Amino acid sequence: MLRVIDLYKSFGGIQALAGVSFDVERGSITGLIGPNGSGKSTCFNVISGFYAKDSGEIYFQGKRIENLEPFQIARLGIGRTFQIAEAPEKMTVMENLLLAPKAQTGESIFNVFFRSSRIKQETEEHLKKIVSILKLVQLYDLRNEYAGNLSGGQRKLLSLARILLFDPYLILLDEPTAGVNPTLINDLMVAIKRLRDERGKTILLVEHNMRVISRICDKVIVLDSGIKIAEGTPREIQNNEKVLEAYLSGSSKKQLFHEDTGS
Amino acid sequence: MGFFNFLIYLAIMMGIYGILSLSLNLQYGFTGLANFGQVGFFCLGAYITTIITLAFGMPFILGLFGSMAIAGLFGYIIAIPTADLREDYWAIVTLASAEIVRMFFLNEDWVVGGGVYRGGAFGVGGIPQPFKSHFSAQAYPFFYFAIVLVCLLAAYLIINKLTRSPFGRVLKSIREGEDRLAQAMGKDVKGFRLKTMAVGGMFGGLAGCLWAHYYGFISPNQFLPLETFIVWAMVIVGGKGNNRGSVFGAVIIIIFYHSTRYLKDYIPIEEVTLASLRMVAIGILIVIVMLFMKEGIIKEKKPIYSMVPNSDHVKGNRPL
Repeated sequence: MLRVIDLYKSFGGIQALAGVSFDVERGSITGLIGPNGSGKSTCFNVISGFYAKDSGEIYFQGKRIENLEPFQIARLGIGRTFQIAEAPEKMTVMENLLLAPKAQTGESIFNVFFRSSRIKQETEEHLKKIVSILKLVQLYDLRNEYAGNLSGGQRKLLSLARILLFDPYLILLDEPTAGVNPTLINDLMVAIKRLRDERGKTILLVEHNMRVISRICDKVIVLDSGIKIAEGTPREIQNNEKVLEAYLSGSSKKQLFHEDTGS
Repeated sequence: MGFFNFLIYLAIMMGIYGILSLSLNLQYGFTGLANFGQVGFFCLGAYITTIITLAFGMPFILGLFGSMAIAGLFGYIIAIPTADLREDYWAIVTLASAEIVRMFFLNEDWVVGGGVYRGGAFGVGGIPQPFKSHFSAQAYPFFYFAIVLVCLLAAYLIINKLTRSPFGRVLKSIREGEDRLAQAMGKDVKGFRLKTMAVGGMFGGLAGCLWAHYYGFISPNQFLPLETFIVWAMVIVGGKGNNRGSVFGAVIIIIFYHSTRYLKDYIPIEEVTLASLRMVAIGILIVIVMLFMKEGIIKEKKPIYSMVPNSDHVKGNRPL
């Protein structure tokens, strides 16, 4: 579904991506991990078009996308969340969510004046979906609150809710569980899995929480200093010496995966 | 009688500036586009309608639509190279573009229509007042006020409908500095900025057209950057992001701006000095409003969605 070939990106003297290649299979949940500064977020930003690549190719459903504008890439069906959850401050949670569905009739000036009934009908449909999603992420009671008043974790949930409404084929999640309370993380994991199982979505996620990675990912890609150092199932990665070396720089493997015992 | 005529004059000014302030509110209040060149659209509208009606002898209605079309196009064009700029750079570019418009009409002294229209520094007089012959001199200002009121109402309804629509929702998300978010949701942020500048420009042009036909005389030095500042004061004092607030702001600022004319009877200060003090008065008003009502006199409205849990039933006071 997504194929990244030999991607390079540097910022001044820092080589953030130094020839990264990987594939994301349709219907899979792929984890992208690595120590801080290993290039995970840069990789996301290049795929979604927010950073221009230095060289390399990106294919999405067979189509080259590395030279497209971010909004064009989004329209092709790649949705993303941001590491620091973006939330328009002076828009309520509801407004934030109503913004999300793509290709809305009411986004054209002409339609605003000449297709009111269709816009109304569309909005009613969106509202129905929004109610169920709001309950899933437990933001229902905060629906009329300005997004600027939400906590960091709640903003994460809001961006997840937004992406669900945006309904892309491929979802890029940048640290979806960072700052979210532990009980809700379980619900989120279930929700992400269901997205794949019931709605056939493909998911690529950056995550530091190893419990999440090993519980839901089919495949894990490990980056270090802009280079892919390993790829495989969570179990294979756990036993990969190179990964442990890069990741733990000394601490034990058990510490990294200590929460994994239940899975 | 003099005072009464003055009131009608004030009402017409409130209407015209109300349109300007609604237009700036769409650009700045809702979309976050710091347009410091609002007077450019005003100037363009005034000149275009003058050329159409005076030089070419066309009817008022053509002048009105012509000035809206050209000013809207101008807004679209200046936004093309600048749409990706940050807010502060936007302010500089738009300020300059308004000056370009003024300089253009200051220096292009063409003679059109057999000498009726003569551009340049001395200005153009004799701009026809629409349907003047149908009314007595006393009744005409009331009729003109009615035209202005209809235009203001149209501007309000159109802009209000836009800002409450899904289109307006995207504008708000752009305003919040969330280009990235809007882009990630597949919104063509640049396209939205261009459209907003075009719509705002259109109404700026409309205000200019109404102004030219009311005064009957225009000259480049009526369109100095100071006018832009006055419109900004209206939006900020009235409450940005609220269309009613913008109109209300226009009313308040126009009252302040012209109050000095009658204050001379009550305060022992010379009229000339008082006239200079009016900008000080507006400045003080802005400071007071900013201190005690940060978001302006009428705050931006928060749409409330009241939904009953576990049901699809949705009601409440909310936009589309």
